[in-house]
Amino acid sequence: MLKVITYLKPYRIAVVIALILMLTELGVELVQPFFMAKIIDEGILVNNLSAVMKWGGIMVVFSIISFAAGVINSFYAAHVSQNFGFDVRKAIFEKVQSFSFANFNQFPASSLITRMTNDITQIQNTVFMSLRIMLRAPLLIIGGLLMAFVVNVKLALILSAVIPFLFIFLIWVMNKGRVLFKNVQERLDSVNGVMRETLTGIRLIKAFIRRKYEVSRFAEANNELKDRTVTALRVMEVAMPVLLFIMNVSIIGVLWFGNMQLNTGEVKVGEVVAIVNYATRITAAFSIFSFIIMAFSRARASSARIVEVMETPIDLLDRKDADSVFAVKEGKIEFKNVMFQYPGTETSAIDDISFTVQPGKTVAILGATGSGKTSLFQLIPRLYDVNSGQVLIDGMDVREMKMESLRKQIGFVPQEALLFSGSVKENIGWGKEAASMEDIIEAAKDAQIYDTIKKLPNQFETKLGQKGVNLSGGQKQRLSIARALVRQPKILLLDDSTSALDRRTEAKLLDALKAYPCTTLIITQKISTAMEADQILLLEDGGLLAKGTHDSLLDTSKLYNEIFSSQSREESRNYA
Amino acid sequence: MLKEIIRPFQYKKMKHLNIEDTKSKNKQKSRIYFSTLKRIWYFLSSNKGLLFLVLFMVFLSSALGLLGPYLVGMAIDDYIVTRKMDGFVTLLVSLGVIYVFYSLSIWFQNYWMIGIAQDTVYTMRMRLFQHLHKLPIPFFDKRQHGELMSRITNDIENVSSTLNSSVIQIFSSLLTLIGTVAVMLWLSPLLTLLTLIIVPLMFFGMKWITKRTGPLFKEQQRNLGELNGFIEETISGQRIIKTFSQEKKVTAEFLEKSERLKAAGFWAQTYSGFIPKLMNVLNNLSFAIIAGIGGILALNGMISIGVIVIFVEYSRQFTRPLNDLANQFNTLLSAIAGAERVFEILDEEEEFKNERLLHELPQVKGEVEFKNVTFSYEEESKTVKNIDLHVYPGETAAFVGPTGAGKTTMINLLSRFYDVDSGSIYIDGHDLAKVKKESLRKYMGFVLQDSFMFQGTVRENIRYGRLDASDAEVVEAAKLANAHSFIVRLPEGYDTVLSQEGSGISQGQKQLLSIARAFLANPSILILDEATSSIDTVTELKIQAALQKLMKGRTSFVIAHRLNTIQNADRIFVLDEGRIIEEGNHDSLLKKKGFYYQLHGQAASSEA
Repeated sequence: MLKVITYLKPYRIAVVIALILMLTELGVELVQPFFMAKIIDEGILVNNLSAVMKWGGIMVVFSIISFAAGVINSFYAAHVSQNFGFDVRKAIFEKVQSFSFANFNQFPASSLITRMTNDITQIQNTVFMSLRIMLRAPLLIIGGLLMAFVVNVKLALILSAVIPFLFIFLIWVMNKGRVLFKNVQERLDSVNGVMRETLTGIRLIKAFIRRKYEVSRFAEANNELKDRTVTALRVMEVAMPVLLFIMNVSIIGVLWFGNMQLNTGEVKVGEVVAIVNYATRITAAFSIFSFIIMAFSRARASSARIVEVMETPIDLLDRKDADSVFAVKEGKIEFKNVMFQYPGTETSAIDDISFTVQPGKTVAILGATGSGKTSLFQLIPRLYDVNSGQVLIDGMDVREMKMESLRKQIGFVPQEALLFSGSVKENIGWGKEAASMEDIIEAAKDAQIYDTIKKLPNQFETKLGQKGVNLSGGQKQRLSIARALVRQPKILLLDDSTSALDRRTEAKLLDALKAYPCTTLIITQKISTAMEADQILLLEDGGLLAKGTHDSLLDTSKLYNEIFSSQSREESRNYA
Repeated sequence: MLKEIIRPFQYKKMKHLNIEDTKSKNKQKSRIYFSTLKRIWYFLSSNKGLLFLVLFMVFLSSALGLLGPYLVGMAIDDYIVTRKMDGFVTLLVSLGVIYVFYSLSIWFQNYWMIGIAQDTVYTMRMRLFQHLHKLPIPFFDKRQHGELMSRITNDIENVSSTLNSSVIQIFSSLLTLIGTVAVMLWLSPLLTLLTLIIVPLMFFGMKWITKRTGPLFKEQQRNLGELNGFIEETISGQRIIKTFSQEKKVTAEFLEKSERLKAAGFWAQTYSGFIPKLMNVLNNLSFAIIAGIGGILALNGMISIGVIVIFVEYSRQFTRPLNDLANQFNTLLSAIAGAERVFEILDEEEEFKNERLLHELPQVKGEVEFKNVTFSYEEESKTVKNIDLHVYPGETAAFVGPTGAGKTTMINLLSRFYDVDSGSIYIDGHDLAKVKKESLRKYMGFVLQDSFMFQGTVRENIRYGRLDASDAEVVEAAKLANAHSFIVRLPEGYDTVLSQEGSGISQGQKQLLSIARAFLANPSILILDEATSSIDTVTELKIQAALQKLMKGRTSFVIAHRLNTIQNADRIFVLDEGRIIEEGNHDSLLKKKGFYYQLHGQAASSEA
């Protein structure tokens, strides 16, 4: 909690003002019964009407001051809490942006999302409340007690006797609550998780008519959430009746003791009245308290979840001595005895691979499903770090560069064409800040998607749903290729990104790519694509089985021949 | 420092919310509020028995809450002022008993109410989720996942926290209010009237505030939903964001959305913060009035001091429920803002609407016919036009053509993910428009373009094809799909949990698992949409035989750019720009030297 609270620091002036205003209100509230005692003791009991008017008037003036203070306090409290929420959100978002993929695997996406919205909202609301009433309650209690002591020490002692027990009780409830609400938030994560899966897999769910199955999965998560929430809330709600009871008993005590003392003349009637009044006020403050401990427990649980994200060590960072001047100029790629395995797995995905790609050349990567093609790709923009060996760009180890200066020069087209909500133009231009319309059109043309875009209802302004669902697979792939091309990258990585294209379109695309002065790596299944490359790398089980040109591989590699024949059969039939 | 001091007063007013609306619009708005409340009530009222008990407890606690101070007043008036002792202890004991029951009644009402509230929230979540599953695919095309997720978490959360406390608060406030006014009238009508002076003031104040907070809460929830959507997208799209090194751009966009949420939140909070302050000042005002005027009356001997003391207490009792009501009104508005967004989804038309009138599709032989089918995703451009095709039971039909020609659309229409604009599709002579959708899909097995894996083990993911499949059958299906060999090499074999990124499963391997799923499903009509696009050709050859076996005796629809599967197809439909331009088998189409020949000629020539 403390770590999150430090985000309040920039707003300390506003916090102080809000607190002062709150204290003003509080002060007014505390002196009210005092005025009333005056009205009774100095006015009514001695038949002094002017005293009644005097104290009544003062009361009204004070009320108005308190109102003004309250309204202004509202501005400051909202200002502080909203900015606080904004800053925490910003910090956590930036942190998550710096996550490596290994980091991402520590938190389910749905949980990260809950933390960034729901958990922050919880804390934000608690901050707002604190600046308005949270401190008010304890101060009201302390103030009420102090005033009670001023009025009559003996009676006040009765009141204050129960207070320590109440506090111990409240702290116990609060600690309990923190644990319980942590559970609640975790269950909320799983509800969110099932929901997210449904949304991503809706087509599959509908296709396999798994509606009921999914609903039962959700019901389970939802039920858990309900149970945990009910448990947490019920524990919290015990506080209130207990508090009320203890306080009410102390009122009885005051009455009884007050009556005894009246007879000895140590206590005045007005004093008993005033103390009973303070006691009811303190009781009211305690009932706010039960509300507060709830909010506070929730906030503590939520803060812990946020801090957990913030304190996750990032395992993929720019080195301190990273070369800040370096920029990819030529695009020479070199792998030196690279070994790599995914965190948490036992077998290596890439096993001792070495090769060199000269600037401007094109290399095709072939291999069976799961042979490590995509894994190899991910090492170039340094999405993962090698376990041993080196990946060099223009002769420099990628780990010695700044990630940003490395990635700026890479155009990457992933296997799964992932687009963002927004227009076609935004999606293509996404890859480059301040991409001009000309750049976008050129990239679209080269990616063979220009004609298609022209036919869309609003052309480049056509909105795409999330993941570009209203486009065909091939169209999405080409858009994501255009997005990479618009950057004019020095290194272009195509991860089997033409699989949904028909051959004619693909040929045109590859032709257009030739005009780009960049080093190109293409993962492909198609011999026809591989043949166009200057060099072919053939992977098997994470190792580099063979490299060479189409002809040399035909001579030397059994696997390559196998792949070739698996495809040439169909080609030869074409001529049949 | 000065800047920091004046900053809270420099937020831009949210003009676009049209707070200063005309009166008719306000009426309309309050009608919406009312109908939303009614729907929340509908969910709540399924627990009528318990709700009644809660109400009874609220009644009890309110009565006891009134009785307590009354006895305190009596104690002061009859015993303390008069310094009498007889019966004082009895009075205190009965006061103690009242307090015990008071606390108990509060505990019970909370205990039950939490149960009811969470039941309600549970049902709302269930309803929302169930309804989502009934919505047609086009609905999902237009929505951001995270935005929808926000409704099931953040929006329902608003409803939840309100129901937990507000229902009780509102009832007890109302009861206390009525009770207090009654007792006050009985004690002194004059002082009561004085106390009531503040009511109109309160009313106008509340109206002014809630007119603002209502739309602001809605705006806040909307912005929160958008932000949630954005966050979800950036997490899903991490791979792209990282490789393109666009973290700064994404963060800037995030901050912009976050800023909007902040602005809406600021005003919503500020205005809602006014309410207790307003109540407080009115509270104090009535305190002063009662004391002052009560004092005058007491001087004139018209009332006793005890009455004033009781009255002061009652006037607090009177303003407290009003105060609470006012506060509840605010949380109620925020709950309504959340609930409205939930109901928005519940009001979306489901794809099974009117299905009661439709019949179940009997066991399918697999004859498929498209008659003059036309369809478009967007109004302007037709995606497929005047499609006529006929496929006989057991045949394999292939769709080929350039990307965007409408191949996947054909599958979408056949499985009724989308509905045709005109024309009809028949299976075994049954018009699909007259058949229950799920009874149709029951006979179909899919390997879709996007091979989605759920969070869960490999085994669970394959079993998704048929939930009652035995472990042996799962392994058998995996072997047929050529997935077995890589699965056993995974760290935990079939029990390896497939999570998000970097679980060590490649795209091609996911496709193999999808194929295994379809093997397990054992459908009458098989649909393979780019089922092997990410699989290398050698592996593809290996599963080819199995696929042939799977397709045997079933009507199959295949979309593929690679030809292995297509070559053996009984019928090939060549699509271009949404029309079938050629039809035949591989050999006849090649002989025709038309579009199909060209598509392949191109590939062949690049190889030559």
